[in-house]
Amino acid sequence: MQLPNGLRVLMVEDNEAPVVNVQVWYHVGSKDEKPGQTGFAHLFEHLMFDGTTNLDPDEFSNYIVKAGGIDNAYTTEDTTVFWETIPSSVLPVALWLEADRMHNLDISDRSFKNEREVVKEERRQRFDNQPYGDVVEVLYAHAFTVHPYKHVPIGSMEDLDRASVNDVRSFYNTYYVPNNATLVVVGDFSPAELKSSVEEYFGPIAQGQPVRRDIPVEPPQTAQRTLKLTEDVALPAVVEGYHMPADGAPDAYPVHLVSKILAQGESSRIYRRLVYEKQMALEADSQGNFTEDPNLFFVLAVLNSGFTPAQAESEIASVLADLRDHPVSDQELDKAKNEMLGDLIVSHQSTQSRADELGYDAVVLKDPELVNTQVDRYVAVTPADIQRVARTYFIPENMTLIEVMPDAKSGQGN
Amino acid sequence: MKLEVKTRAGKWLIIASLTQLVLLAAVITAHALLAGTLPHARTRSTPPSVPPPEPIALPTPTVRTLANGLQVLVVEYRTLPVLTLRMNIGAGPEADPSKLPGTAQFVASMYNEGTTEHSALDLAEQIDGAGGTWDNDSVWDISSGTLTVLADHADLAFDLMADMTIHPAYAPRDVERIRKETVSALEVLHSDPSYIADAVVNQLILAGTPYGHPADGTLEATNGLTAQDLSAFHGETYLPNRSVLAVVGDITPAAAFALAEKDFGSWANSTAAQTVMGSSTSVVQGATAAGNPAPKWTTTAQPAGTTRIVIVDKPDAVQTEIRVGFPGIPRSSPDYVALTVANQILGGPASNRLFSDLRGEHGLTYSASSDLNCYLTTGTWVAKTSTRTAETTKAVQRVLQEMKQMRDHPISAFELQQAQDYLIGHQALDFETSAGIADQFLDLLTYRLPLNTWSTWPAALGKLTPDDIWQATRKYLDPDQATIVLVGNSSAFEKDMRRLGATRVIPVDALDLGSPDLVRAGGGAGGR
Repeated sequence: MQLPNGLRVLMVEDNEAPVVNVQVWYHVGSKDEKPGQTGFAHLFEHLMFDGTTNLDPDEFSNYIVKAGGIDNAYTTEDTTVFWETIPSSVLPVALWLEADRMHNLDISDRSFKNEREVVKEERRQRFDNQPYGDVVEVLYAHAFTVHPYKHVPIGSMEDLDRASVNDVRSFYNTYYVPNNATLVVVGDFSPAELKSSVEEYFGPIAQGQPVRRDIPVEPPQTAQRTLKLTEDVALPAVVEGYHMPADGAPDAYPVHLVSKILAQGESSRIYRRLVYEKQMALEADSQGNFTEDPNLFFVLAVLNSGFTPAQAESEIASVLADLRDHPVSDQELDKAKNEMLGDLIVSHQSTQSRADELGYDAVVLKDPELVNTQVDRYVAVTPADIQRVARTYFIPENMTLIEVMPDAKSGQGN
Repeated sequence: MKLEVKTRAGKWLIIASLTQLVLLAAVITAHALLAGTLPHARTRSTPPSVPPPEPIALPTPTVRTLANGLQVLVVEYRTLPVLTLRMNIGAGPEADPSKLPGTAQFVASMYNEGTTEHSALDLAEQIDGAGGTWDNDSVWDISSGTLTVLADHADLAFDLMADMTIHPAYAPRDVERIRKETVSALEVLHSDPSYIADAVVNQLILAGTPYGHPADGTLEATNGLTAQDLSAFHGETYLPNRSVLAVVGDITPAAAFALAEKDFGSWANSTAAQTVMGSSTSVVQGATAAGNPAPKWTTTAQPAGTTRIVIVDKPDAVQTEIRVGFPGIPRSSPDYVALTVANQILGGPASNRLFSDLRGEHGLTYSASSDLNCYLTTGTWVAKTSTRTAETTKAVQRVLQEMKQMRDHPISAFELQQAQDYLIGHQALDFETSAGIADQFLDLLTYRLPLNTWSTWPAALGKLTPDDIWQATRKYLDPDQATIVLVGNSSAFEKDMRRLGATRVIPVDALDLGSPDLVRAGGGAGGR
């Protein structure tokens, strides 16, 4: 269903439990930020809770809470998502609240400044005051040269300080418009009542200008990039980032399965080699950060005391070379597919996880039908596909490597 | 992409993982908790009004006890072809031998690391091949293993779960591997300010109880644990009459009970005596077996008597982790319902005063909350937040001020109503999925509470008055007897803290969670 103002509405009815999940997906994330404005998409997400012409700051959540519901929001590189999980009797309230802040946001200078401090505390808590907290930021800054994925969604302190309440209105008018939004409702509702509530609350909101996206394309990487960091951490670590295809691209499906082959479960290759056989790593993992534009596939390991990054890099290189040089067995590929199937099924248990997937498929992959059809794309992957993507992406010249070493104070050993 | 936080086969609940940091960098979640002011009267458009939430009809759990005392709980859910087995063993780190903190967690870490029949790798191959996931854990009162498989592997799942639960091998090679991982994990945790703050405040408040040592163990104990220690702990605690098996998913109760009988029917109880942390508490501890009568709850945790402050000095910190806590209650306490409401209002999982004040009003923090942690024989009540170094004193004062307010004045009828509405309405969410339903009933079975506890919960909440909440709050929350723990750059706030109460400063490098006075021998001259 689509309203005349461009709002897309996706609904899945399920009356198993008296619960419903509502999500509004805005197609704007940190990749839409210009240089000098990093962190603004996420800061803006916070501001969406800070009042409208109808509601005082933070009153929004009180309506959800007093019904026993929960609400939250998150920002990624590509999207900003607001959601509520609520007893189904209060669905109309949630729809009204989402329509209200899409239409009537009203931010005071005081709440803007307050929220900016909160976001800076968030950065300190989650990154600056955490062991290994800056590694990802440094990796992205070097792996990308022009594409805005080179900065992470939390943004820099300097840019956050520079943000002003004047930026708010223009960001709101540009991106928080019905034609840039997708409403997802999954759970216990009556379709006719839902349709009429949606038309009543969201219908009057004026359509915005079409959103222009002029995102630069990242040129192919041609040589390995290596960085060494010395930090206040207890153990050395290695993080490798390989450029990989955008999610939903044909090659993305075998790459998803590669992450299963390399790192899901204790019989997976990276885990087995680094943790089980060589006992050189506390943890070893590989996983793609799949996004709308091509992003990075990570292979990482936190090393036990006494092992060097070079030793881990050599083992990882050998595991990846094996993946390039020899096709996986049907049995190992089937195991990876089974794991993927297990993930997909388990993720269908709650209304929220189903709405997450539906929204993601619709907004980022641009095809909501994928919730039903993507299993077939995984099933169709062959050992030759795995070998092809390994040879295309998991090669040294496509890699940015970070070695993290404990500083003198932390690395005293035991 | 919204990345899920991937847990490495559940090895470490505790690990401050680089993986998580990598994957979370892309997902910035803003508002776990939001609180706010009450609606003001003004002319404007308002949301449609709806009646307050009605209590929902709860499913009736199907529970059967095998001859050996193992309780089997089945929650049938046929919509998806998935089956989960969760084994809850009624013993966690509180059952650690006195010299060996971390034993329960080490034993749990070895849960899937090889049996007398299958090697660790063999188990992993079978689980991964069934599209399965494995998770294990050991927290206060509970050690657990959770196996999820595609439903057509039900027979295999029961076989593996029984084999892993009853016949662990503790092969030297696997013990050494897990030891190495545990040591590394502890080293990482010991550099995480939030972990340090949680561990220190717990130890200060619960000193002298079976819960007053580091649940994750210490480097010294981890290095000293032998396969015999693990085997002894397993033999004394992994027993059918103190365990509950939850079976959730695409299976009929009849089929689940038949498989449970086949695979777990011959599991025997041992009569071995138990040795536990702290000799004076062995009586309480001995009564925790699920087959025994519930212990009469006692707690040896005492209020601090006066405000006591411990600062763990980390000069390079940009933020201070703050904890303010008190002795709390065991899960079976008659004050549980009233304190749940009080905690909801102070810092619970929704609108609350701490969040509203520290974040909403003053922009001091990203998160502020309080936890009512209730264990079998004792508990804690702890407020937690973090703030930039320069605002540390102010944030501590704000937390204490909110506590004083809770202690000196009854809550309003409106606040009570809001908390009751939230807790009653929220039951619909707690019982939404089969896994959620199983968790709710496992909680009752583990703490030996009546199975109708959740169906009578709305009535128990509904009859509370503001005075009930106030009286219960005053028994436990006293800011003049608070235990305050700060992990951060001490030089910026130490003087202020000394004005507030007796203050110890422990350099982070001298901190030893395994030592009764928290300081490593020869490492820091007992603090300053």
